[in-house]
Amino acid sequence: MNQSRTDFLIAGWLNQSLSKEEFAELELVLRSEPDVRKKLRWEVNLDSLLREQASVAASLNAWQPEGGTSQSRHATKRRVAAWVPWAAAAALAVLGIAAFALMNRGNSGSQGGLVLQGDSIGPALASATEETDRGCAIITNQWNTEWLDNPPPMRAGDTLNAGRFELGCGLAQIEFFSGAQLLLEGPAVLEIVSPWEAICTDGKARVRVPPPAQGFRLLTPGMKLVDLGTEFGVHVDSAKGEGEVHVFEGEVEAHPETGKMVSLTEGMGLKRMGALYSPMDAAPADFASIDDLKDLAGKMARLRYDEWSTWSQQTKSDPRLVACYLFRHWQDWDRLVNNAAGNDKSRNGGAVGARWTQGRWPMKDALEFKRPGDRVRMKLDGEYEALTFACWVKVDGLDRRYNALLLTDGYETGEPHWQILEDGRMMFSIAYPDDGNSEKKVNQIYYSPVVFTKSKLGRWHQLVVTYDNCSGEAVQFVDGREVSREISPLYQPGRKIVYGACEMGNWGLPTKEHQFPVRNLNGCLDEFLIYSVALDPAAIRQMFEIGKPQ
Amino acid sequence: MPEDTPSTPRIEIEAPPETYEAFVRLFVAHEGRLRGFLRSLLPDWDDVDEVMQETSIVAWRKFDQFDRGTNFMAWSAAIARFESLKHLRRMSRDRLVFNDEILDLLAEESLEETDTLEAHRLALCKCLEKLDPRQKELLHLAYQPGVKFHEVAEKAGKSAQAFYKTIQRLRASLLECAEKHMRKEAHA
Repeated sequence: MNQSRTDFLIAGWLNQSLSKEEFAELELVLRSEPDVRKKLRWEVNLDSLLREQASVAASLNAWQPEGGTSQSRHATKRRVAAWVPWAAAAALAVLGIAAFALMNRGNSGSQGGLVLQGDSIGPALASATEETDRGCAIITNQWNTEWLDNPPPMRAGDTLNAGRFELGCGLAQIEFFSGAQLLLEGPAVLEIVSPWEAICTDGKARVRVPPPAQGFRLLTPGMKLVDLGTEFGVHVDSAKGEGEVHVFEGEVEAHPETGKMVSLTEGMGLKRMGALYSPMDAAPADFASIDDLKDLAGKMARLRYDEWSTWSQQTKSDPRLVACYLFRHWQDWDRLVNNAAGNDKSRNGGAVGARWTQGRWPMKDALEFKRPGDRVRMKLDGEYEALTFACWVKVDGLDRRYNALLLTDGYETGEPHWQILEDGRMMFSIAYPDDGNSEKKVNQIYYSPVVFTKSKLGRWHQLVVTYDNCSGEAVQFVDGREVSREISPLYQPGRKIVYGACEMGNWGLPTKEHQFPVRNLNGCLDEFLIYSVALDPAAIRQMFEIGKPQ
Repeated sequence: MPEDTPSTPRIEIEAPPETYEAFVRLFVAHEGRLRGFLRSLLPDWDDVDEVMQETSIVAWRKFDQFDRGTNFMAWSAAIARFESLKHLRRMSRDRLVFNDEILDLLAEESLEETDTLEAHRLALCKCLEKLDPRQKELLHLAYQPGVKFHEVAEKAGKSAQAFYKTIQRLRASLLECAEKHMRKEAHA
């Protein structure tokens, strides 16, 4: 950054006239450029001196007897007087700006947008603009699905807004916010109208309605069905102009387009052929059930897990691995986070606080980090030329300014830190001493663009960073895709990478004098591999394909 | 009691007068440097005033833990740093506050540089003396207590721009003069 820009930013900071964007820019240069930090200190030094002298001058003036003859004092008084209206006007202008800002907050709230600006979204702002959502339902489970006309990923956990959804094949379980549960069997087309209403224009759907969702309406061409607390199925074939409703339990009001409302109870059905409606027997066996989906999804998970398990058995003997944590829950020693690489027990990890939970598949364990103390501690010896951190993580929230993935205890020479920032950027950094001054540290920091958005929370993602001390390049990946690649200007060749005592999911034992910043991860880890080399993008892509949950 | 609640000042009056005197002498001697140190961490001078107050109370309360043979600046700056972190956590977050990593860097380096900063301050004083009375008066006007410089400068249109530029030029020349001065002293 050029000199005049940094001067402008520092002056603006001293005058408190920086915008949020400019402040973020200042933070960025301060972080990476020791000279700018020095410049800031010198400017502060001058500022404090000028203020002191001005206040001494002001109080001296106040002590001068009335009617004193000092030329300069008169001049000062005159000038002060001339400035007073400006100051008042400025104060008004500031109030005006504040009011405007408040109005804007209101507006952005009503549009449902929560805008993240730089690093700083304060709780005050967040509470003023409570986030809103137009969602009507959630996909809670699916098997072998292919969604057409919808941008991927359509995955379990996704919120569905009102709109049209076309399922090419497979089974999808959709839970409406009203409480109604719908199982869609592809090929099918479903239009969601609201949490209380949907239209099945083609294909098969099975609906189960608990008492609080009574009154949920499912429309089919030529027929409106109002549920009175029950389970029923519809089968629509729009090409033939036919539709059927089958009641499995409870009662459904069927409103044909022509003719009177019919009340259907358990075992009854109604068939439409064009404009003709005729009674029929319900055939529950024709419709897939939630249990069927569970079985199928379970089998699919088993397959995925077995494939991953075979891969991990081979992978753990890769000599390039420094450590390989697969997060298997050992019943005899609950706190052991076993290092599977090279059978090196000295690199076993120990869980503190974190609790065991289900991982990417029902048959796979993971550790859940929630409380500020939760962590996994380990100790990794040796010096390295390069590294790859590859983990599977489910982030439930970015609650802290820094959300820890892996951090060394201190932040000493050659030690890497890997974190997710509050605003959703990934941050990898490594510390080295300054050449000129061994007491000082140079912080090589690499940021990705914002990768953690609301839609990425609460589900499994693969995160990877590679760093090579021969090139100074750090590359970050999310779900097998490269998101950033950068060489630090502070990089110097030949500096070793070391770890020592470190931990996953927290930063607990910082060096003396630190204020124990809270950086615990809110989420789960179910795999963490540390390599002594920078893996290439193809290898990372392959790891993602094998490890992805669905 | 939550950690963030400001503590009520409780000045122990039992301390012998010489202790009190020693404390006041040390504190006053380092006040300017401490203020500068705090300003590099805090968003504005009003925050500095608040934190200085807390710092002085805490420092007095803990003064019996201070080893007289050691560096008072380092000791009191450690307190000031902790008090400023408490203050930053307490105040509303939509103000422009440096993140922890930068705060750590700034604080650490300020402490390392205490002596250099003091020399810089002395050099600045000498350079200030060399200014002509009109320039001094301008600076006094811009930095008089209770007036926010940018509020004054911003609203005044063209002449404010000119005023602002003049002040910035004066600042730059003072910094340059101080740097020269320090270089000369280093080689003397």
